[in-house]
Amino acid sequence: MAQIELENITKQFGDVKALDNVSLTVRDNEFFVLFGPAGAGKTTLLKTIAGAEFPEKGLVKIGGNIVNHVESKDRNVSMVFENYALYPNLSVYDNIASPMRSKLYKKDEDYIKTAVDKVTKMMKINHLLERKPSQLSNGQRQRVALGRCLVRTPNVFLMDEPLAHLDAKLRHFMRGELKEMQTSINSTTIYVTHDYMEAMSLADRIGVLNHGEIVQTGTAQEMYYTPCNEFVARLFGEPEINILEGKKYAREDSVYVKVLEQDVLLYPSEDTIQALKETDTDDIHIGMRGNDIKFAFEKPGDEWLEGTIYANEPIGNKVIMTVLIGDTKLAVTCPNDTVAELDQKVYVKFNMMNAIYFNGETQKFIIRNNMSRYMAEKREG
Amino acid sequence: MAQLILKNVYKRYDGQKKKMFKKKKKKENDFAVKDVSYECQDGEFIGILGPSGCGKSTTLRMVAGLEKITAGEIYIGDVLINDLQPKDRNIGLAFEDYALYPPLSIYENLAFNMRAKKKKEDEIKKAIEYVAPLMKIDDLLDMKPSALSGGQKQRVNIARAIVRRPGLLLLDEPLSHLDGKMRQQLRQEIKRMHHEIKCTTIIVTHDQMEAMSLADRIVIMKEGEIQQIGTPLEVYDDPANEFVAGFIGEPPMNLMPSVIEKQGDKYMFTFEGSELQVEVPKRYNKVVKDKMKVILGVRPVDVLIAEEEVSSTPVPVAVYENLGDERRISVRVGEMLLSMTTPEDVYYETGQNVQLVFHEERTHLFDPETGGRIKV
Repeated sequence: MAQIELENITKQFGDVKALDNVSLTVRDNEFFVLFGPAGAGKTTLLKTIAGAEFPEKGLVKIGGNIVNHVESKDRNVSMVFENYALYPNLSVYDNIASPMRSKLYKKDEDYIKTAVDKVTKMMKINHLLERKPSQLSNGQRQRVALGRCLVRTPNVFLMDEPLAHLDAKLRHFMRGELKEMQTSINSTTIYVTHDYMEAMSLADRIGVLNHGEIVQTGTAQEMYYTPCNEFVARLFGEPEINILEGKKYAREDSVYVKVLEQDVLLYPSEDTIQALKETDTDDIHIGMRGNDIKFAFEKPGDEWLEGTIYANEPIGNKVIMTVLIGDTKLAVTCPNDTVAELDQKVYVKFNMMNAIYFNGETQKFIIRNNMSRYMAEKREG
Repeated sequence: MAQLILKNVYKRYDGQKKKMFKKKKKKENDFAVKDVSYECQDGEFIGILGPSGCGKSTTLRMVAGLEKITAGEIYIGDVLINDLQPKDRNIGLAFEDYALYPPLSIYENLAFNMRAKKKKEDEIKKAIEYVAPLMKIDDLLDMKPSALSGGQKQRVNIARAIVRRPGLLLLDEPLSHLDGKMRQQLRQEIKRMHHEIKCTTIIVTHDQMEAMSLADRIVIMKEGEIQQIGTPLEVYDDPANEFVAGFIGEPPMNLMPSVIEKQGDKYMFTFEGSELQVEVPKRYNKVVKDKMKVILGVRPVDVLIAEEEVSSTPVPVAVYENLGDERRISVRVGEMLLSMTTPEDVYYETGQNVQLVFHEERTHLFDPETGGRIKV
């Protein structure tokens, strides 16, 4: 158990800055997810904590101690990799027992047996102990790799995309399994993924990385409801959030927003009006998720925007309709029996209650509609 | 433009035949494609969907003429094409690999096949100017393939397949090399291109979402055999068997072995290693019996948490996940997790007891022996 502190970490590979002045505190016993697109520096950051990479600048502290020059094996971390890295010649039992048979963490065989029994029951692989890795399915191999990581009680667990190799169905179930046994993990855990659902599901807190920099840290709900910029907003949610380009429009000491060059005024809430007045640009972007857009094939009223159907994709439990308005494509989440022709006319209306406002010049978060009410509800839980 | 008809098509590879004599495997297991028949209407978009090794690519390659047909007949329009050379079948082909000619510009790449057929230059120009905007590559015509991204290369590849305006367009996993965003974009472009030229199209894919979003009808294959043919909504709502039910849909359908127990005038689902009991939808009352073994199939969206008193046993919530767009709640049933999803903004504490109800119309039963659907 330990708190991990990173202070101003910079790591370069040649001319490429893999990590750029990263500062981060992961609390004791926290499940922290590092999330970001490919090449963001997630794995490099994990390796820096593990001691497999050494930063040019900055401090790495585990449990208050500076470990920059402590070798990997002496940091007491336990890591699981994307590609399992099981010993092919050893049985499942011996694979899981292997960390406790190393010189450094040597335990007696009775202790090992108890520990392996406990972890294999938890991972539901206790019927596979005699098998070799080659006789296991991918999902089982992944659980063995996780089991081998979890069998010790190190300072820190480090997990690098442990579910990424699994197919979509298995990943769904394994995520549930992992979430369920989370309560029995009693160590600080840092988990790397590029799957936003894994991040939202598992994390106590998420750190979003991009180009080697931390963009935002916070809970899953903060990422989804109050992202610090458009980049973070786009990372969470499926289909991707729609970002509408709008213009601020002042009238009778109130403020409205016009979007998509249409003559429909959108009415912000009270606190939003204040925040928009204080914003020093007229370029306002509005973030609107696919399930906050209503649609109709006959025009129900003046406040509805007209567009055409660019794509209509049934994906099982819902249909993702792409509506073209001018040059802007909007993704709209529809019920799964929605039938529509391409290029057909369609009318859409935004649920402004859930609008997220961004500064059009900097792409930074301004406010969420009814922010004060939203924050109050959040406090009440 | 053409109709495509497959009649009882079989394919056996020579290697398999030899293996058969050596190992004396069961004869029927030796076909890569077994008794495949379907009709593809003029202008229709068909998706052939299945896991790797199910024979979907082999079927496509037989249509293309790249594989010999072991038995059966394939017609394009009224013409039996079994013995026709690939070049005489009037088909356009695009594979996962782009196979563009690296020294040639994009324009030259598109023109190549038509030049080989000795078409006039102004005719070629006209054809290219028609397809380039369809696949959004009009700005790329002067570039070399090496300057293009993977997504752009695949656009060129597909444009090259349709530039001659073939009667039949065959696409073999055209999107599987591309990353998420690019894939989604190109998926929309392919659909729009088809909407524009209305060319009979077959796409082979292992990605159910791709098949669902592109195809008018989906042919689902497993181990060389067709499992079901239907529109995306049909295969989702009305799966023919357990395999189709599990293959279509994300998150996947809950498929759980269950024993039915009669309690008074009610039938209940019971599960090994679990206290959980949930009432069987009433419409099944005529087909189920006490102690009958079934596979219960219910999609996560069709599992509901009862708000009033119902006959199912209360179970503790094992996992609660807030995924932003939806909430996912799972309960433990023996070795498995039974999941439900809801777009509603609800919260359940782990360990909190809930009572489950399965959607009356949308709960399926499958035969554990054959995997077949038990219908009312």
